[in-house]
Amino acid sequence: MIATALTTVVLAVLAIGAALAAWQSRRWLAGRPATVGVVAGLRALPGRYLVDVHHVVGRTPFNARFHALAAGGFLAAIGLLVAMGVGLAGWRIVWLLLAVVLAAMLAGSLMVWHRRRVVRPRELSQGRFARLPVSLLGFSACLLVVSLDQSLGGVMPEALALVLVAIAGLALADLVWGVWKGPLKHAVHGALHLAFHPRPARFHDGKGRDTGLKPLPLAPAEDAGLAEPGALGVERPVDFAWNRLLGFDACVQCGRCETACPAYAAGLPLNPKKLVQDLVAAMDSQASDAAYAGNPHPGRGVGNAHGGAALPLIGPDAMIHPDTLWSCTTCRACVQECPMMIEHVDAVVDLRRFQTLELGATPGKAAVMLEELRATDNPGGRALSRRWDWAADLSLPRLPAGGFCDTLLWVGDGAFDLRVQRSLRALVVLLRRAGVDFAVLGDEELDCGDVARRLGDEATFQSLATRNVATLNARRFNRIVTADPHALHTLRNEYPAFGGNWTVVHHTALLLELITNGALTVTRPVGRSVTFHDPCYLGRYNGEIEAPRALLDAIGVERREMLRSGLRSSCCGGGGGAPLTDVSGERRIPDVRMEHVRETGASMVAVACPNCALMLEGVVGPRPEVAEIAELVLAATETAR
Amino acid sequence: MHNVAVLLSIGRHPVSGRARRAATDAQALEMALALRPRRLTAIHAGPATDTEALRAYLGMGLERLTLLTLPEGTDPIEPLIAHLRQFDPSVVLTGRQAEDGEGSGMLPYLIARGLDAAVVPDVVRIGPTNAPDAMAGAADLVQALPRGQRRALTATGRFVATIHPSAPPARASAFGPARRGVIEPVAAQATADLFLSDCEHRPWRPKPKLMRVKRGGSALDRLKAATESKSGKGQLLVNPTAEAGALAIYDSLVEQGMLP
Amino acid sequence: MTTPPTIRRRVDPRAERAARTILTGQRPRLLRLPVAATTNERRRDPRAIRDAALVQHHPRPRYDWTRDAASAGIAPMMGAAIAAAPAPPLQVIAEPAYLILAMLDRPGGEVSEHDRQVIAAARLLADAGGGAVVTVSTGSGEALAVAGSDRHVALPDGWADDYVPERRAAAASALMEALSPRHILFPDSPDGADVARRVAAAAGERLFAGVQSLGPDRATRQSAGGSLETGHRPTRLMTVAADAFAPLDGVRHEARPLDLAAPQTAGEEVLPRLGGARRLSVDPDALSLSETDFILSAGNGVTDWGSFAELGEALGATRAGSRVVCDAGHLPRERQVGASGTVVSARCYLAFGIAGAPQHLQGITGVRHVIAINTDLHAEMIKRADLSIVADAQAVMPALIRLIRERRHA
Repeated sequence: MIATALTTVVLAVLAIGAALAAWQSRRWLAGRPATVGVVAGLRALPGRYLVDVHHVVGRTPFNARFHALAAGGFLAAIGLLVAMGVGLAGWRIVWLLLAVVLAAMLAGSLMVWHRRRVVRPRELSQGRFARLPVSLLGFSACLLVVSLDQSLGGVMPEALALVLVAIAGLALADLVWGVWKGPLKHAVHGALHLAFHPRPARFHDGKGRDTGLKPLPLAPAEDAGLAEPGALGVERPVDFAWNRLLGFDACVQCGRCETACPAYAAGLPLNPKKLVQDLVAAMDSQASDAAYAGNPHPGRGVGNAHGGAALPLIGPDAMIHPDTLWSCTTCRACVQECPMMIEHVDAVVDLRRFQTLELGATPGKAAVMLEELRATDNPGGRALSRRWDWAADLSLPRLPAGGFCDTLLWVGDGAFDLRVQRSLRALVVLLRRAGVDFAVLGDEELDCGDVARRLGDEATFQSLATRNVATLNARRFNRIVTADPHALHTLRNEYPAFGGNWTVVHHTALLLELITNGALTVTRPVGRSVTFHDPCYLGRYNGEIEAPRALLDAIGVERREMLRSGLRSSCCGGGGGAPLTDVSGERRIPDVRMEHVRETGASMVAVACPNCALMLEGVVGPRPEVAEIAELVLAATETAR
Repeated sequence: MHNVAVLLSIGRHPVSGRARRAATDAQALEMALALRPRRLTAIHAGPATDTEALRAYLGMGLERLTLLTLPEGTDPIEPLIAHLRQFDPSVVLTGRQAEDGEGSGMLPYLIARGLDAAVVPDVVRIGPTNAPDAMAGAADLVQALPRGQRRALTATGRFVATIHPSAPPARASAFGPARRGVIEPVAAQATADLFLSDCEHRPWRPKPKLMRVKRGGSALDRLKAATESKSGKGQLLVNPTAEAGALAIYDSLVEQGMLP
Repeated sequence: MTTPPTIRRRVDPRAERAARTILTGQRPRLLRLPVAATTNERRRDPRAIRDAALVQHHPRPRYDWTRDAASAGIAPMMGAAIAAAPAPPLQVIAEPAYLILAMLDRPGGEVSEHDRQVIAAARLLADAGGGAVVTVSTGSGEALAVAGSDRHVALPDGWADDYVPERRAAAASALMEALSPRHILFPDSPDGADVARRVAAAAGERLFAGVQSLGPDRATRQSAGGSLETGHRPTRLMTVAADAFAPLDGVRHEARPLDLAAPQTAGEEVLPRLGGARRLSVDPDALSLSETDFILSAGNGVTDWGSFAELGEALGATRAGSRVVCDAGHLPRERQVGASGTVVSARCYLAFGIAGAPQHLQGITGVRHVIAINTDLHAEMIKRADLSIVADAQAVMPALIRLIRERRHA
């Protein structure tokens, strides 16, 4: 009787849940078509969950434990209850088993209670999420009593047992109702997202990392099949591919992205969690953000944004304010932290593409920069020959078309800047000292197109990329070395789509190699306390966090680590065209980062990116010294005179 | 403003020499779009080279643009006047001076003569007149003068305005609309520009800047004035009283003509 | 400077030096002006020049080196007494072979530097063949005599303050008709070039705009956005680029008034289509930084923002700031000077409390006159400035405001 009631309730609620999920799928299936391997994806799902998701969740062990207990216990209990429905009801051992998994779930639920109702971290959403521990506790506690009773033979009055089953059923109903718009949506959509992820290569069964942006087809012929031929980028929610919409829907509002976002930390009007939730809300036909119960975009309230699946997403009164869109530094900190594997940066760039390519609405100095870039192939509108002004006395060898050298030095646009020229000089002197056979492209080196692409100007990026690839493919070299992680990322990860496949190394890796193989000898160890600021485009985008540290150790610094370092480093504010779009917040992002540096007590911060150097040196007041890593290596390997 | 025509040339970036939208022409188009005319005609006259650069104007939200195709080395004035007469515009907007070619700045004046219109140079704002005694068809204009000064005036009847760089900045050109916009080529007859072919051209070499020599004073003073280095050799007052410092600044400003 | 001779002379430095020697003091003194001898001989005859220049025999020989050896004897002899700073001799072109018209701006009644340059350019054309320069402007020609004007046509005084370009163009056209000048030169200033183009359009003639170099046979200008130099025979109508010709110094011409009714009549007959011109009062803070001429800039060393705003008002200067100041929200972002803000080219830049980061100095490379007030003697800004004051901005700003107010009321 109890068993029948129980399984009936469970099966009924599960059927309703499945119906809800199916109804929900209509929202994300409205997106643009996408090609995914359905079978391969489903087959890879458990592995991706157990390895990749757990890798993220495991960064906070308490959360990982309660999730394993509560979710594992819940799924096991549901499984056992369904199994009882098909004929295992009479077995006491099954009841006992059920009691064990429910006890685990109860423990997990208490931990959830502790976190959501006692600790209450700021980044957690309230609203429906606040009810989650109650439902979990109700379900697990009531059924635990019933199952224990049943495993002992059933001493409880049947009426009481039925009442408990009813309560558990209500709690279960609340949980499953969450598939609609609540916490448990992430279970269904998260699983599907893992299977049909737009970047399958990012998982352990792929390359393990996939950070390059995908080319946007620009030729008119290629988008002939679309409903609105010619519209580039994303204007409305339905312009996203369906599996991208599915990804947004997987968001569980855990707020990890919020705590990692440098723009949010500086009080710029961007909260990545709210951004994703805006996208989720906008999938409905008449949407508003009124139901959102987390932290807003700083400086903006909740409830003023309105939109819909077929309405523009960006606008002063639309779901997402332009300032929010242009605050992003594309540092990928949110993507790195997201346990649901949501690709925030891809969404931001797609939205920016429409703004720039279709509306010309790139804000501030960014539009001016793009116009100069189109006319002169460098962002400052200068003559390309002036890129080499700083090296007039160095007589850098130029690599002509058809020529060969071992190492090609890509100097990047930093070479136009007085500050960056200093570190480039240091690098050139080091290469000479180590006897590296290197050359530069000379006037044929164009801007790599990184900033244009992050600002959404795919047309300018592709024009630059095609010409740079042609220039580089006309020459022979063993590797490209660059001191600019943005150029490194673009050349290494984004040019292959345009036919450029080379070995691209960062100068920190090369310098480490030169010290390791004895080409450079450390004569004067630095002996100062130095902390290393990881460039986003070297660390998170390319996973290179060891070489610069090994290099610093090799030149004898007392290395200190910031709280946020390595793959979880915090951005300097110089990426994604953010210095050009210049959205104001409560503070500046580099000031926040310099705070992190100060906390270590180090007297110097080493940087390995021209943008970081410029942003951190722009912090005023007494602050730790900022040094490019090549400058430190140069000082440390000075030969005795 | 029922009927506005805007003349658009192909600009050239001063450093790279690459064809692009001309800066003040783009501002003229911006102003034309902001006027929300009932009818907007955009015309480019010239040889059919580098016409892809015209797409930058289409990217500002212009749907179509007429291209009067002329043979190389011909004078565009006559065909432009003939073409404009068909449209009978009440206002013709254009940039100040072409970024490429002769760049004499004569075109707006010759067009105005051909259309029997007034010319207003260096316009930064156009609005319908609100003066009570203004005649019908008058427009209120604001001109930019050197040193940031502004002058308001009214123009009666049809007028040709050249746009000053201080006019509202041109909106960014977007790739999508630029790609979709239509360039309508119209073949036109033009006579060869004999004067221009009579000129000889060579690359411009920067000349030394004319030094401002102080008149009067002793020879030594003049020599000093002529040879004094521009930067880094200034006068230095260390910890003067506030009054002495202020006086030094004041005298320096008077000397520079910044204060009466 | 006087007209360079058109035929290249053989240079004889010794003779040059001898010719410049004035035997008055203990030591030989050299005249700064070159000897104005436009002989057509290939070899100079210093003796003849010396004889021609001799104006006084006793008690000591005195020479006037500005006199032309070829035209010696035509001009009247100078008086015996020479003043301490002798006025340059009057040059009279009684019977000009042809006329060169110079249409001047004279903004606010003053003869501008550009006006002088136009006259200098006109002299190049006139002196090449005995022509005369006729200046045309409002106001009298007296001030133009030392700039090199032979004749002056005064436009009605009432035209000085009105902006009616059509009237000026009609006057120029009428003068073109009445005097049949060989060339008419205009300053390539906003107003001058506007009138020139109106005249050219009316006459159906080609305007050679923005002349950079000029000779009797060849004029050059910049074309194709400044990338090409275009050369041609001087056309009838030309505008003279700013700062291309050195204004004349140490000359005196007669600037004889020409009484002509034609320009005035023609001007009054015009029915102007532009009217109601009036200057607008411009808020200096509403000007863009790239346009303004006078910038008052604040850096991290400024804390008294009230005084800063007050000073900006008192000076009539456009307020700006360094990046830090704009970051902190004391000034809006478009007020930021520097490589990442606006690169300015103002005539005067008054900087309070700016240390001078490289990016900031990059932004003011085009500024002519920099005044810096900073507490740090070793600040880069102090090194860059033309007038540097090591003091606290908070103390100097109120003092300067007081000074300006005092002087204004005095």
